Amino acid sequence: MRAHTIVTATLLATGITAAIVVGCENKAVQQQQQASGNLGASTSVADLMKSRGLSEADVEAALKTYVPTGKMDEYYIFASGGQSGNVDVIGVPSMRMLKVIGVFTPESWQGWGFGGDSDKILEGGNQGAHKIRWADMHHPNLSETKGEYDGQYLFVNDKANARVAVVDLADFATKQIVPNPLAASDHGGAFVTPDTDYVIETSQYPSPLGREYAPITEYKEKYRGVAIFWKFDRQKGRIDPSKSWALELPPYTQDLADAGKLDSDGWAFINSFNTEMAVGGTLDGKPPVESGASQNDMDYLHVINWKKAEALVNAGKTKTIAGMRVLTMDVAGPEGVLTLVGEPKSPHGCDVTPDGKQVIVGGKLDTHTTIYDIAKMKALIEQKKFDGKDAYGLPILPFKESIAGQVEIGLGPLHTVFDDKGNAYTSVFIESVVAKWSYKDYKKPVEKLKVHYNIGHILSAEGDTVSPDGKYVVAMNKMSMDRFLPVGPLYPQNFQLIDVDGEKMRYLADMPLPNAEPHYSQMIKADKIKAVKAYKPGTNALGEIDPAKVEGGKERIVRNGNKVEVFMTAIRSHFTPDRIEVEEGDEVTIHISSLETAEDQTHGFTIDMYNVNVSLEPGKHENISFKADMPGSYPMYCTEFCSALHLEMMGYFLVKPKKK
Amino acid sequence: MESNRTSSGGLDEPGRVVHGGDGHVHLRVVDRSPPEGAARRPWDWARWLVVALGGMSVASFVGSFLLPWWRFWLYAPQYPKGLMLVISLTGMGGDVHEIDLLNHYIGMKHLADAAPNERMLAGYGVAAIGVLTLAGMALAGKKLNKWVAIPAVAFPVVFLSDSFYWLYSFGHDLDPKAPLRIGAFTPELFGNGQIGQFATFAQPAAGFWVALAGVALAVAANVVRSRVCTHCAHASECSLVCPRAMVLPDKARSAS
Ligand SMILES: [Cu+2]
Repeated sequence: MRAHTIVTATLLATGITAAIVVGCENKAVQQQQQASGNLGASTSVADLMKSRGLSEADVEAALKTYVPTGKMDEYYIFASGGQSGNVDVIGVPSMRMLKVIGVFTPESWQGWGFGGDSDKILEGGNQGAHKIRWADMHHPNLSETKGEYDGQYLFVNDKANARVAVVDLADFATKQIVPNPLAASDHGGAFVTPDTDYVIETSQYPSPLGREYAPITEYKEKYRGVAIFWKFDRQKGRIDPSKSWALELPPYTQDLADAGKLDSDGWAFINSFNTEMAVGGTLDGKPPVESGASQNDMDYLHVINWKKAEALVNAGKTKTIAGMRVLTMDVAGPEGVLTLVGEPKSPHGCDVTPDGKQVIVGGKLDTHTTIYDIAKMKALIEQKKFDGKDAYGLPILPFKESIAGQVEIGLGPLHTVFDDKGNAYTSVFIESVVAKWSYKDYKKPVEKLKVHYNIGHILSAEGDTVSPDGKYVVAMNKMSMDRFLPVGPLYPQNFQLIDVDGEKMRYLADMPLPNAEPHYSQMIKADKIKAVKAYKPGTNALGEIDPAKVEGGKERIVRNGNKVEVFMTAIRSHFTPDRIEVEEGDEVTIHISSLETAEDQTHGFTIDMYNVNVSLEPGKHENISFKADMPGSYPMYCTEFCSALHLEMMGYFLVKPKKK
Repeated sequence: MESNRTSSGGLDEPGRVVHGGDGHVHLRVVDRSPPEGAARRPWDWARWLVVALGGMSVASFVGSFLLPWWRFWLYAPQYPKGLMLVISLTGMGGDVHEIDLLNHYIGMKHLADAAPNERMLAGYGVAAIGVLTLAGMALAGKKLNKWVAIPAVAFPVVFLSDSFYWLYSFGHDLDPKAPLRIGAFTPELFGNGQIGQFATFAQPAAGFWVALAGVALAVAANVVRSRVCTHCAHASECSLVCPRAMVLPDKARSAS
């Protein structure tokens, strides 16, 4: 019996031990929980409202948008940075700026374009002989899977220089810039197909394809529009130009584009203006483009069957221009790949509804939005029921039979976004309002909300997916006038956050955009973005483990003739080596790896006077190449306040003058 | 009861006829243990309980070898999630890189320089404990018996003292050329401490507790074993090694 007792006691003791193990581990975690401070309510809310002159609506808006420290926003906005050429990342509902992603324009904090590997990406975007280092960014588009944002990539276009860039949302860094070889400007881009097979980039101002010279008098004959279907290789996270192709378009000024989805997958739509093909000539006494292009009552919506176009391209029915396969109009028209349909007066905006059944075009100079029925148009094309042809032989669909309806919106309707309840929200530029209306019953707007001022684009939460979230709409206003403290004659733009969850639209917050004029933006649920916190050691700007990655203890300087290679590491709070001595005229390459692994431990590296500056996030590798063409003794140092001994994180780059 | 014991030493005498008080003739088994069969048989079986408990003890040590033994947490404002160092018998895990990085400011050695021999020998140590404990439980005679749990008991004690030694030595052997000079110190091995801006917290982890369970099991085995010995019929033959050690219980019984 005693033996039995001992066994029982032992087993019990083991059980208790196990319980202690578990208990203790929890306690350690709990220890970290800090009690939140109680600040006390010395001033009552009512007093605060009175002293700050706030209405109840103000307080409600404040409560809906305030994100206290330690809490996070619900959505990300990826906004085009306009003339800044970079992407603005903004949190919603707080409307706080989270990041500026260097894309087309050097961005010195990220060391974007100052001697490191990012230079190679920027160089990939050079057009012809020119090193282009700015952009007029217009339309960011998030990658999609089955018509839903998947949070993996962002595509943006540069209207001024006809380029498209790919931003990887794992590290919020640009990975590729592809120059459009055919057009000289673009606008309808970068719009993705529902599974991101293609990124569509459409030209804006026509020019001879391949950017050749042609006298303006030969505009109709030689100038063309073009839509590029950039093939996206999701595995590589890059656009594959060799698998991309283009569709020749008439020299109307193609504007915005959108890809079909669900029922209309395989189709794309581009609106246009200036079907008059006005080219100005004010010195010769001709009307400027602004009036020359506004004569016709109707312009043309381009209806494109891109699946069929793709098949024709694969069948080799193309002509190669500037290295790109182009499906020309004389093939595309008769094949039913490119069809036109009238759209009222100089339209703007071209937005496919979430169900993929309709495409909505804003009238701009017409007070209506026109709602096209995609199924009807497909049937008309199938039956070849046309209303004639344009000057380029492209079939034109009968307008009345192509539309589902028109809605009288107001003065200057532009872009339309959607919520989850069948409502459309159209930006109305001249009236400075957001018009809310139903895209199901085509009645007049149920509500208009004044915005401040001159709204251009508009966005809603996941608004151009197959399942918009509703909740928030942002009016992207071109003017801010009396909304912010004066900062001289160049005013900030104004993003106005609007609550669309309730019966009535309500203002929530204004956000000044201080760095440029943003165009389109997209809003994505925050939990879809899976941002990395540090790089795998040795990762370069292209996202690859760099072959020249440097490990701790393997730092060295290697000379080969006049080529000097420095293998360097950075870790709190020193660079190894911290002295580099070269001869004037040497070709210097500094391979530098951050050995940091901890979150938010970033170093920077600069060599004074050499226009070299890279950012070394944890695990990042950079290759910096330059010619030591300026003799002297130059400090090199860490540009990020990384630690208490940050100022001591420095060394010398010595360039010995050539013997004369 | 005492009256039933035979006074003579030597082997049992099978077949000796004894007349019981009830008038029946019994075939008596004679040995030095309490004569009641009911009392004797469990202690025969308990030899195997000893081996089983010893085996469980060894299994615990082997298990602990695979588990973390100690954890240190470091908290500072800029490390809201904290840093953690995990110590096992053979190595270290967790935020070693980051802790080394911070330690270099105060001139502390790399964590990898701590207890290199101990970490190399730990596997042999556990193997030795296994062999010694199992062999001791199975083979030790009366004189050795009280020592058989010692290796198991000693192991965590050695671990703790060695850990303390290394903490002391790391905290006292700081590079005098370090950028930050803080006085010599010994990081806390248990509970809360403070090093610079870091609040520290240390406590044993699963491996240590499992090893303690191994100690408890070894001690329990040892206690049972000493009871077996006091009930053993062969105590007089017993010295360093148990003469019945490897005899199966049934045989031991029928041989008695
Ligand atoms: Cu630094």
